[in-house]
Amino acid sequence: MTSPSPAHTAPRPGAEPSGTAGTGAHPSGAHPSGTLPAGRAAADHLEELFGDAGDPANPVGRDAVLAADDRGEMLAAGEDLLTGFGLNAHFVPRGLGGRFEQLDDLVRVMRAVYRRDPCLGLGYGAGSFMAAVNVWTAGSDEQRHRLARRLLSGGRAACAYHELDHGNDFTRAGLTALPGPDGRLRLNGRKEVVANLRRAETVVLFARTDPAHGSRSHSQLLFDTAALPATAVRHLDRFPTAGMRGVPLGGIEFTDCPVPDDSVVGRPGHGVETALRSFQLTRVALPGMTIGLLDTALRTAVRGARGRTLYGGRAADLPLSRSILAETFADLLLADTFTTVAARAAHTAPARAAVYASAVKSFVPTVLIRAVQRLSELLGSQFYLRAAEQPLFQKLLRDVQPSAFGHASRVSCQSALLPQLPLTARRGWRDDTADPLPAETFRPGAPLPPLRFSGLTVSAGGRDPLARSLVLATASAADGDPLSAAGRAWCAELAALTADATGLPPALIGPDAPPYAFGLTARWTGVLAASACLNTWWNRPGEATGSSADPAVTLAVLHRLGAHLDHHREPLPPRLAEPLGAELDRRFDAGLTFDLDRRPTGA
Amino acid sequence: MSELTTQTPQPTAAELVDWLRGRVAAQTGRPAAEIDADVPLNDYGLDSVYVFGLCAEIEDQYGIEVEPTVMWDNTSLAPLADALLGLIAAR
Repeated sequence: MTSPSPAHTAPRPGAEPSGTAGTGAHPSGAHPSGTLPAGRAAADHLEELFGDAGDPANPVGRDAVLAADDRGEMLAAGEDLLTGFGLNAHFVPRGLGGRFEQLDDLVRVMRAVYRRDPCLGLGYGAGSFMAAVNVWTAGSDEQRHRLARRLLSGGRAACAYHELDHGNDFTRAGLTALPGPDGRLRLNGRKEVVANLRRAETVVLFARTDPAHGSRSHSQLLFDTAALPATAVRHLDRFPTAGMRGVPLGGIEFTDCPVPDDSVVGRPGHGVETALRSFQLTRVALPGMTIGLLDTALRTAVRGARGRTLYGGRAADLPLSRSILAETFADLLLADTFTTVAARAAHTAPARAAVYASAVKSFVPTVLIRAVQRLSELLGSQFYLRAAEQPLFQKLLRDVQPSAFGHASRVSCQSALLPQLPLTARRGWRDDTADPLPAETFRPGAPLPPLRFSGLTVSAGGRDPLARSLVLATASAADGDPLSAAGRAWCAELAALTADATGLPPALIGPDAPPYAFGLTARWTGVLAASACLNTWWNRPGEATGSSADPAVTLAVLHRLGAHLDHHREPLPPRLAEPLGAELDRRFDAGLTFDLDRRPTGA
Repeated sequence: MSELTTQTPQPTAAELVDWLRGRVAAQTGRPAAEIDADVPLNDYGLDSVYVFGLCAEIEDQYGIEVEPTVMWDNTSLAPLADALLGLIAAR
């Protein structure tokens, strides 16, 4: 492990209890003036290491990324850079020797990777984090330390859940790990389209460990691939995919393959519960990382539209172009605000994260994919060419697609929300004494309580403090507050949804639920996203300046939320589009990211 | 569907099993008499998602909070009723 920068290797006071991600809290509740929070400092440092993407001589620049993609390979120089940076340490809880403390900070760091190359993001990093959360949540001390050592030494972990026959329905996973004649577990079956399966030194494998039906029949197994007899393992060829061409998406087939005795993670048979709890973190984090892809797509589109002359002027100045750019910028901020609040709520309300994670994963990837597709309209008649900005844009358009179904699809997340909806309507939304989320949830950069993996639960129990925050904050908004009318409108939507969802019978909340019922989960997600945006506005720092002090930005974001939910099909009105367009231009010219952080980038 | 505020008195094990049997019968369309308290609910075609719905009904009826995992650990009605009796007594 190298120590690239004192900025994020400085020791912090206080050892953490095991089972938490460690504490990053400053006792004063504020960061020392002049220093950045650890996650931002790390992301800034990574940006510096990546350098100027537009420099043709940069070994991790745009040209190199595209050349690797054309070859269907991971960018080797990029992987070396990330190893030197010590990216894996950001996946390992501080209590286990790593740097993982806050989920939103991990997203910040990974977003810097996704801005350069989504294949590096998924193929170097995200896959290992997906595997690791299972072990951080349910593994023994020995397993947690073993995986931490593996990652901190630069190794990889593959997260082997997926079987083509069962898609995202991992409760039907067919690969078995059952006792053989000698009592040891033996693997039989296949895993398919899994990142790094061939080259990862360590695997977290989801297997059926009991032939019985029900939700106590699967377990995660953690083992090193070197511990398996080679004759019992067959690697499958890489699966050809439309996007993420560089990521080694492999498959594996086991035939009577014995695994070491200490492989089972947590209590045998509790694998479904472990997955449903631990993947709450990745369902939030992955869309949050992918916002980096849209950041670069937006920058690429602006560059292309500025460089192109149409109808006697710059394409970027045409009213339709300005509208698409401003709306896409608002989409990015919408995605970031919702994801950031959900990531922070995992710290402040872990027992409710089940709902917020599914809501983010069902909604945000769709926003990102639509936004990249709309930007492709901007590149217009030259989009099919392989010249100028087009090749990078085409890659981003391909690479964003898997975010719709990878890890958990929109429908599978809506299916997870639906059974929790009637109880939430009857209990949580009607309880006038329920608590809202703590205010720090809505203050990006403010310290958070440590992440408690043990606090994650399968169900949110009918409680919804994020919706409660909407109701309470709207009620206490000052007269003349520019967002109070929006708050009241979303409270009315919550009241209507409460009425519609309260009596939803059990027959309508299963996988065979009608489209109407799925539509209710989309409305719930809309209320949650609106609450995230409004409360982030109402909790903005007193000294806020620039775009974070302009209510037009939040109004524009809510306007876009309404468009995504099919409330309307209106373009952003000029009074909202113009300030956003101006801010977009400022950030492009200054080389700043388009997300909430607004940090320097060479992407 | 009853509100959370209607709290029934402590049931006996037999009463609780009968009530649960009625819920499962309503969901599956079978006569309640055909629902065996010792047969896994899965055998009646009720999957892990239905468990969330049944949990909500139990919570409403008895004024308790039930993690769905209670039903994963107790896959038929007799052991489920035993597990729930403790939660109801402790409310």
